[in-house]
Amino acid sequence: MLEGAKSMGAGAATIASAGAAIGIGNVLSSSIHSVARNPSLAKQLFGYAILGFALTEAIASFAPMMAFLISFVFQVL
Amino acid sequence: MMRRIFRFDEDSLNSSSSSSNIASPSSSSSFGPSSIGIQNPTNQSTTTIGDFSLRSSSTQVDGSGSSISNNHGFFSDLDPTTSTTQENIADYLRAEIFESVQKVFQNHCSDEDKLRAISENLHNDEDSPGFLREIIEHLKDKQGEHYDFALNQFNVIVGGTPPTITSPLEQFEIIPLIPMKIGNLYFSFTNPSLFMLLTLSLVLLLVYFVTKKGGGNSVPNAWQSLVELIYDFVLNPVNEQIGGLSGNVKQKFSPRISVTFTFSLFCNPQGMIPYSFTVTSHFLITLGLSFSIFIGITIVGFQKNGLHFLSFLLPAGVPLPLAPFLVLLELIPYCFRALSSGIRLFANMMAGHSSVKILSGFAWTMLCMNDLLYFIGDLGPLFIVLALTGLELGVAISQAHVSTILICIYLNDAINLHQSAYFFIIEQKRV
Repeated sequence: MLEGAKSMGAGAATIASAGAAIGIGNVLSSSIHSVARNPSLAKQLFGYAILGFALTEAIASFAPMMAFLISFVFQVL
Repeated sequence: MMRRIFRFDEDSLNSSSSSSNIASPSSSSSFGPSSIGIQNPTNQSTTTIGDFSLRSSSTQVDGSGSSISNNHGFFSDLDPTTSTTQENIADYLRAEIFESVQKVFQNHCSDEDKLRAISENLHNDEDSPGFLREIIEHLKDKQGEHYDFALNQFNVIVGGTPPTITSPLEQFEIIPLIPMKIGNLYFSFTNPSLFMLLTLSLVLLLVYFVTKKGGGNSVPNAWQSLVELIYDFVLNPVNEQIGGLSGNVKQKFSPRISVTFTFSLFCNPQGMIPYSFTVTSHFLITLGLSFSIFIGITIVGFQKNGLHFLSFLLPAGVPLPLAPFLVLLELIPYCFRALSSGIRLFANMMAGHSSVKILSGFAWTMLCMNDLLYFIGDLGPLFIVLALTGLELGVAISQAHVSTILICIYLNDAINLHQSAYFFIIEQKRV
């Protein structure tokens, strides 16, 4: 019972990845839009896009972190 | 269950049956409790129970002993000596199996009756020493079919997860290599310390070899260009971010930021080496780093601007009634910077490395699954693991970059208050 609840919790924690996916998509789509409007800034904008990607990715990794913590650290006894 | 009843160690079976053949060809076998109480004195003295190297000689003695008893004519259809010594050895081995089972499951179950049941199911009351010794061997090595059977039995009898399923977080375990204590302080030399020392020596060696003979070749070789690349990589964002409105701020913080960057740049990918340790995957280390930097930045802010630094908490042109709320609203994110940059690095490293480990485990399972999938099934796992390793290396390096840039941004906030560096860049572009 508790074991099952643990698995469900770990699974539910990964739903957060959806938000991260939206965030990363948003960053890259904005970057493409900006480059399309002003191609001369492409190199600088790429740097910002990578920065934004890394920041979003960092928040995204909280989801698997929680999932791992739930499934491997919490002991059901 | 069924198949292990019929599994005997062939050597011991042959030797015991041959010795019983000397006694009487019609004798059923040496197994069974039929011969308790009849012992051969010479045999007892020569065979030390549990001394396995003497086993072969003891069977020889058994043969002679049984032939003696045959000469006397007593109990010619039994083989008393062989069975007693064998049973003593088997008893000893069974006790040892129980001990090994206890040792294997010591962290998971302390119920002696259940463990005894597991060990009884393991040896099934068999006497063959070879078979029993094989069980002990498997339990000691923690592999082989008997060990698997023990885990299975553990699952059935005790319940819960068997201890073989190693958690992917195992790689982050801190092990004291040289245990030390100074007073009440636990001051051991652990594997994080070892790997931090390794990182430090790696960076210092790299810089040392590049600058050994004065360095600075006008045409740099590979190593020198690597070091120059790292140096430039830090210096450029520092100049861009903390340059001030007209680029008038001196870059006295550049070495500090460079050290932070180099530390995480070398620590993060170091964890990708199999069987190594990721220093930055620990809360303690990343939070220590980020908190010390946060405190330092706050001190720098007060040093540079005096009490005027507090104006950082209130954006210009805010109506006075709103001010208390806005100060609170600005103060919370400012304090959370300390937590967030540490947690970001830690979460990335931990989640990334664990997911690499989990997916490598899947790939390994797929690789070992079937001969049919041999040619098709190989490439899939290979590419998945390869891609994931590449992604992790990218994440490791980009996290070092990101934390450096964020430190620069925070430092810029402290030094130049509300003058954003981006205006400076845009202004520079216009000129």
